[in-house]
Amino acid sequence: MAHAVISCLHANLAAFQAVLDDIDQQGIKTITCLGDLVGYGPQPNEVVELVRQRAIPTCQGCWDEDIIDGLNACECSYPSQLAERRGHHAHHWTADRLTDDNKAFLAQLPTTLRRDKLLFVHGSPNSQHEYLLPDMNAFAALERVETAGAETLFCGHTHQPYVRELSGGSIRVSVQQRGNEQASEQEMTLPMRRIVNAGSVGEPRHGSTKATYVVHDDNTGDVSIREVDYDVAKTCRAIVEAGLPDVFAWRLSHGFEYAERAEDASHVCER
Amino acid sequence: MQQIWLITGPPGCGKTNWIRETLLNHGGTCAYLRLDGSTKEGLELGHNAGIDQSWLRDQIPQLQDLSDPAPSSQLSSDDHLVLIEAQQFSAPTPSAEGLDPQITQQLQQFNLTPDRTLHFGVDPELPKQDTLDFTKLEAWHLDLQGCVWDPNSLSSFWFELVNGAYGDVYRAKALMNMPDGRSFFCNWMVSQSGSQFLPLQSVVPPTGRPNRPSHLVIQGKGLIPAGIRSTINDCLLSDDVLELQQAPLREQQPNLQPTLPTPA
Repeated sequence: MAHAVISCLHANLAAFQAVLDDIDQQGIKTITCLGDLVGYGPQPNEVVELVRQRAIPTCQGCWDEDIIDGLNACECSYPSQLAERRGHHAHHWTADRLTDDNKAFLAQLPTTLRRDKLLFVHGSPNSQHEYLLPDMNAFAALERVETAGAETLFCGHTHQPYVRELSGGSIRVSVQQRGNEQASEQEMTLPMRRIVNAGSVGEPRHGSTKATYVVHDDNTGDVSIREVDYDVAKTCRAIVEAGLPDVFAWRLSHGFEYAERAEDASHVCER
Repeated sequence: MQQIWLITGPPGCGKTNWIRETLLNHGGTCAYLRLDGSTKEGLELGHNAGIDQSWLRDQIPQLQDLSDPAPSSQLSSDDHLVLIEAQQFSAPTPSAEGLDPQITQQLQQFNLTPDRTLHFGVDPELPKQDTLDFTKLEAWHLDLQGCVWDPNSLSSFWFELVNGAYGDVYRAKALMNMPDGRSFFCNWMVSQSGSQFLPLQSVVPPTGRPNRPSHLVIQGKGLIPAGIRSTINDCLLSDDVLELQQAPLREQQPNLQPTLPTPA
């Protein structure tokens, strides 16, 4: 059975509707969402309500968390003062407009979802704020999947879709019990693990304006990355009409993220 | 013998870069003057904010600036080269060297008569650049004296600026201050690939806001000054943040002295 995994909607209703249409046209009934329903985009309530209406199982993203808990991430979340100011502007704009009912919905979202050996998170099993980049150290990547007890880890947050297979992994541990005793050694060979990043529906960062998501076949394990055209100009008009900075519309229309990633993408904020 | 050359051309054709190279290669004394240039209907001149003068004087410390009213003995020395830069949109016609009357008038004010006039896009002696034929051009500028940029924010702003986030920018140049005391000459032209970010030789100690020229000059179409200003405001460091960044630099190098350009 095929199921769709979507992430990082970022209050972009036109993109979300186009992705849902694409999923529906394939006859896919199961959808999992990896969070960041809101943030930067102009339609936070509409997107949250559509997720609720479709009863899509959803993890909490970093933006969803911040809207509820307030801005308390450390400043290293942003690579520049400009990105920080824009992020804060978008945060306050969203927090002011999101209804209490929708905030309550975001607040009760789980940080992880699990289905058998499939684990669904926003950033990583450790934090909604951690980026699992495609070129992350293989051992660290394998550690994230293995310690979470998953065979396939679905994540988002980077806005760059990818499928990474981690095979041939082995861990050897040598433990010195007492000073004069021979060290005991244990070696574990790990079966193949996978990290699947769903990209972003509402704020693509893969060099194109198209919305991205992934389809996973539970039977065969096949994963396909889908790119979907949507009415970018419509969302851009909504950004300007909503009073968000015009430059957000320009960035979206050119396939640039609203704010760049932090310089040290592996950094996890101490909150 | 004194030589006076007038270098003309449209915005961004490489006049200042060529002048810099020529002056650096010149063995004798040298002087520079930037004229306001000639304007035409629909074609606004870039504001003469002193960016070119500051950049050239940083690179060639002994350069005499003819816009400076203070008299200099260099003018009368042998082997003296005077280069005058002027923006002129149209190529000169063969007759009367095609000098725009506005430029002629400006030359008369300085009592200068060029021995030669070279126009980019016409004279083979000058490098063949992509000289654009402008039909409409707006100009906008912002004085940034005393302003200090968050470096990563400057990078983002410049990327947006030259890629059309604030209108169709054809030409942008600036002198921008960094918190560590450096200043960068930022230079971009639509016909060239990439931007230049060239550090000035002169570095001031990281002790607050520097007192030296800092300016942004833009030419293009459909410019959005409000958007540019808004983004710049988000990029500039407040006093508190500036002190936060400069204090560790002072601790690391307690004996920091201003670095002045080395004479070529």
